[in-house]
Amino acid sequence: MERTKKLSRREFLAAAGAAASVPYLIPSSVLGGAGRPGANDRIVTAHIGVGGMGGYHLRDMKSRMDRGEVRIAAVCDADENRLAQAVMTAGKGVTPYRDYRYVLQRKDVDAVVIATPDHWHGVQMVHAAQCGKHVYVEKPACCTIEEGKAMMAAAKENKVSVQVGSQGRSQPEAYLAHRYLVNGNIGDIKRVDCFHYPSPEDNNPVADSEPPEELDWDLWLGPLRWRPYNQRYCHGVFRWVLESGGGQIRDRGAHVMSCAMWWMGADGTGPVTVEATGTSPKQGLWDSAVLMDVTYTFKNPDWVMTWRQMPNDKLPKAEERTGKEPGGKISRPGYGAIYRGSKGEFIHWGGDGGTWAEKKAREWELPAGGKDVYRSPGHKEDWFKGIKTGAKTIMNIDAAVGVANLTVLGNLSFILGRKIEWDQSKQEIVGDDQARRMMGRPQRHPYHL
Amino acid sequence: MSRNNDSTVSGLLSKLKDSDAGVRTEAWQGAGSVGAAGVESLAGLMTDGNLEVARAAKRALWRIVRYTGRPGARSESREVAVKLNGVLGGDAPVAVRREILWMLSEIGSRRRIEPIAELLSHKELREDARMVLERIGGRRALSALQGGFESAPEEFKQNLAQSIRKLGGKVEGYECVKLVPTKETTIKALPD
Repeated sequence: MERTKKLSRREFLAAAGAAASVPYLIPSSVLGGAGRPGANDRIVTAHIGVGGMGGYHLRDMKSRMDRGEVRIAAVCDADENRLAQAVMTAGKGVTPYRDYRYVLQRKDVDAVVIATPDHWHGVQMVHAAQCGKHVYVEKPACCTIEEGKAMMAAAKENKVSVQVGSQGRSQPEAYLAHRYLVNGNIGDIKRVDCFHYPSPEDNNPVADSEPPEELDWDLWLGPLRWRPYNQRYCHGVFRWVLESGGGQIRDRGAHVMSCAMWWMGADGTGPVTVEATGTSPKQGLWDSAVLMDVTYTFKNPDWVMTWRQMPNDKLPKAEERTGKEPGGKISRPGYGAIYRGSKGEFIHWGGDGGTWAEKKAREWELPAGGKDVYRSPGHKEDWFKGIKTGAKTIMNIDAAVGVANLTVLGNLSFILGRKIEWDQSKQEIVGDDQARRMMGRPQRHPYHL
Repeated sequence: MSRNNDSTVSGLLSKLKDSDAGVRTEAWQGAGSVGAAGVESLAGLMTDGNLEVARAAKRALWRIVRYTGRPGARSESREVAVKLNGVLGGDAPVAVRREILWMLSEIGSRRRIEPIAELLSHKELREDARMVLERIGGRRALSALQGGFESAPEEFKQNLAQSIRKLGGKVEGYECVKLVPTKETTIKALPD
């Protein structure tokens, strides 16, 4: 943070030279938890992973920097081409790094934005928290159940503010949908059916090869077990590999199911059983389900959520819009969810940066005595508020792990070909030794939690 | 191997070698019930010169591991694990043995630890063997890791220390280095 007030604990340590030489040998509790910038302080950020969504976050943060709201101190990527581009985007005064751990050593950095491939989210978020940094981490929060537990513990122990990038919760029409549903307009909701178009198949598989010169393949793989480079693995297309991206369910599921858990008031709860079926790609490296059908059964209260990747011609028809609505036309009609209540149904499309609610929710007005719900000022604004005040963020790490766990368990059931029983209070799979082992995944040295 | 098993396995291998991707896919997806009888042949087919045939064989073997790992099928998974151990100790290529190691990480019991532990001294497979032992866990795995630590070259001791600590063991020195940066970029900041 940038300010003229008295020295923070971290600034004191830095000034004393106490932490500079051996930061990783000192427990975070000794280094101290995160500092909380004051209301008028400029938060100092660093960006870990600057391609894809990371590039979006960097450009977004640059515009905030130009408005004097924040200062970007560093950018980081395992791909030198992407890093060079990020330096150009961020401008003067921004230091580039290949290794994110240099970023975490910097005492002037208050907060990091992590937008690396999914298999890095858990490790980097935990490390950042242990170094006292507030964290914005892309969704899904975690790739395994054990990563999720570690992320929740790290945020709590180090008192950092974490926002996970399921930004659908912060969209204007998400607020309208939430308000509409909790006021009983479709009655008691017992079923939510999430829909999505299929994951892609690779019609042109290629053999493993040497990684491109600009890419540090070892660092890109990080915690994953080693495998040779393959063009079908990165960039972006890691999404279709189960061990990394996990397919549509872990990508968009972390958006659509995030809305469902939020609107159903189900954050902090979990299913008792998860059962998945699906079809696999017929060739190539990608192995995530093309079509998929997952059923999550919740108890006390009893309700069911389904996740279905279906052929495009089976998707619900998107609502006709003129384009003059505040949210404009629906540009992502291929995913969303249908809420089935005792008095009717409600549908939304999207669920991420684009979230569109059915007309009846947009036109509904809150009556006197009606129940209002939290209206996010914006996903990053909500995070900044969390950093400065300690307020719980709208997609805090506990909620995000709960959603990610749904996607992880869905994939596990698909991989194993059988129903999984889940104990939410213990955060454990029950009665299946193999599935229990798969709750975690040993990580390659030294890229571990 | 019984004659019935023989024909089941040869039928599976034949379909996995089919030129039609749909036939191969249907074959590997239905391979689970073939069980231990299919392990050695499928491991062999994983080295096929046709990339997609090799991949289908690998997926068939994984399907066997997942199917026999189901609750209530301990004797089936034990038979599979014994066969996997056999492949692990043979002369299969590193890429195949790496895959076998990870299969054992899901269904291997303490009885399967010794052949895995032997690979802690194999330069190309030791890191996978370490992770697999960590996942299997328990006293025998910890003991194997500690034994490996004693004889490990200096550059691998840190890795083993990570797993030993994870399983509740103690290691003198070799502090955790997970937050130590090591990789420098060649990209420069923009000049002021």
